[in-house]
Amino acid sequence: MTKAEVRIRALEDADIGDITALDEKLMGEYRPEVWERRLGYYLRRDPESSTVAEVDGRVVGFMLGEVRSGEFGLEEPTGWIEVLGVDPDYRGNAIGRRLAERVLASFAALGAKSVRTLVDEEMAGIADFFTALGFQAATLRPFIKKL
Amino acid sequence: MSMRQVELPKKYHQAIVKWSERYLPDYGFLIESWDKYFPRDPEFKLCAYREAGICTKIECGELEGQPKFEVAGKMDPEQAGHVLGAIRAQASTEFGSIQQHQLTLARAQEEEEQVWILRMMAEELRHGYQMIHLLLEDDWSDVSDVSEEDMVEQILSMRTGSHILGAFNIDFDSFVDNVTFCALIDRVGKFQLAMQKMSSYQPMAESMPQMLREEAFHLAAGVVPLRRYMEKAARGSYCVSSEDIQKAFNKWFPRGLEMFGDERGGGTNVRFGLKPMKNAEAQTAYVEEVARVVRDLNVRFVRARLPKFSSGDAQKVLDKVLEHRGTEQGIAFEDLVHLPNTSFFRRRGVPAFELVGWDGNAFDDVDAYLSHLTERLPDAYRAGRDFKHYVELLTRVHSGETTVADAKREMPTLTRVGGVCPCSKSVRWVNGNGSDTVGQGSQDGVPASIL
Repeated sequence: MTKAEVRIRALEDADIGDITALDEKLMGEYRPEVWERRLGYYLRRDPESSTVAEVDGRVVGFMLGEVRSGEFGLEEPTGWIEVLGVDPDYRGNAIGRRLAERVLASFAALGAKSVRTLVDEEMAGIADFFTALGFQAATLRPFIKKL
Repeated sequence: MSMRQVELPKKYHQAIVKWSERYLPDYGFLIESWDKYFPRDPEFKLCAYREAGICTKIECGELEGQPKFEVAGKMDPEQAGHVLGAIRAQASTEFGSIQQHQLTLARAQEEEEQVWILRMMAEELRHGYQMIHLLLEDDWSDVSDVSEEDMVEQILSMRTGSHILGAFNIDFDSFVDNVTFCALIDRVGKFQLAMQKMSSYQPMAESMPQMLREEAFHLAAGVVPLRRYMEKAARGSYCVSSEDIQKAFNKWFPRGLEMFGDERGGGTNVRFGLKPMKNAEAQTAYVEEVARVVRDLNVRFVRARLPKFSSGDAQKVLDKVLEHRGTEQGIAFEDLVHLPNTSFFRRRGVPAFELVGWDGNAFDDVDAYLSHLTERLPDAYRAGRDFKHYVELLTRVHSGETTVADAKREMPTLTRVGGVCPCSKSVRWVNGNGSDTVGQGSQDGVPASIL
């Protein structure tokens, strides 16, 4: 764990390279096209909510999301946290929590009444992270069918 | 967050719609196709947005901590004059960029990138609308003898060549200009808007948040295509080379630096609480951010050229190429994009008309310097009036015919021939009955009062 001076701020276009590199570190795959498209989407939709953590000018964590209405019959404005990544070298700096605080504050400012996310049950650490933030398991369950 | 939507009085709203019919003819197509290209996004609306909840205390300068000014009449006249100048300059840039983008919009190779630029143009139209809202909502008669109608007419009459800032007087030559402009010049806009979000003039501060949200995408509309060009160039594409991108950077980066104003200035804006940073400080932050973008573009190139290299190994290759200016793993220094020296090709600010090369080398001789520029700037740009004007000024400065100070004040003046369309040189005020009247006072050229 590296103790560091962490700056939390809104996502910017210049973060695409760092986020691509961080994703590669976490997932083991280099996917620049995916991140160009995805970050282009968030920068267009709501650049203020999506948040990054920066250390010495480099992105070491990010949380992407937006407020939407009408998903799965949920008509009220709802914040959706969709992607989260933190550099393992910087864990222990409360980066995830600080990212979430900023994202949730932005969702609330945009009129969201609740915040939702989907967590893979096999990734226990992620579920614990959201539980610690006050999230509770919801009755809305994902179903999937292979085609 | 709560935003108030404001529509301009009908006469002005319709004048802007008429303006868009001439300079943004695909606006209707964009609105009709909005759901196809941006299915989840809120519908575009041509209006001004005023954000509630913005800090109401002055955030910097001599009056820090005091309430922000709701109206210009409560401000020191010099302070109000600065605000008025900023609004008019900002409006000029918004409308000016649309005129530039329109020149080469149709030359995009990818539909997605073209629609991104088109959306960006519509949002710039809204930003111009926002600035005109600021002009019309307040009473500026204490600091200007120009009527509000004439001020709007002057702004809507400007053409490429007669705008207030140099970057908006340069023709685009290809779609590479569209995206490079977004990546470099809109980035200056982002810095300016972010600073003006703290303005001691409350209506300006309230206007910035939505503009900043939209500006974030404008930068992405430049950076993402540039990254894709670099990836394709690394794989041997014959369409857009890294040299093309470099030349576009050489064309626009100096103009972006000059948009911050003279490196020695900006103190008055800080003193009045209009901006939190002096010119040099903001310019330095901009250069650091552009350097980061350039690094990203080069990493994209190296990773595409050396797909089996890990991220760390690719970065090492890049560092070696940059350090030795040589070739590593088949990648040459010239294959990459580089940030031009901040004194290169300048006509404003501290290094104006200095003979500093692209990589920082000094030249003793004007002809040698112009040959250097010939190699480093896009061919089509050199064939235009902006470069011709620069060459003439540079030659006059270095032959002693004129001073740097006088040369800085000269702007390329546009002498387009009217007659293509009755509104080609004028704003059309649209009467309530739908008939048009051509403004009488319009002229190409900026009134001396705001230069």
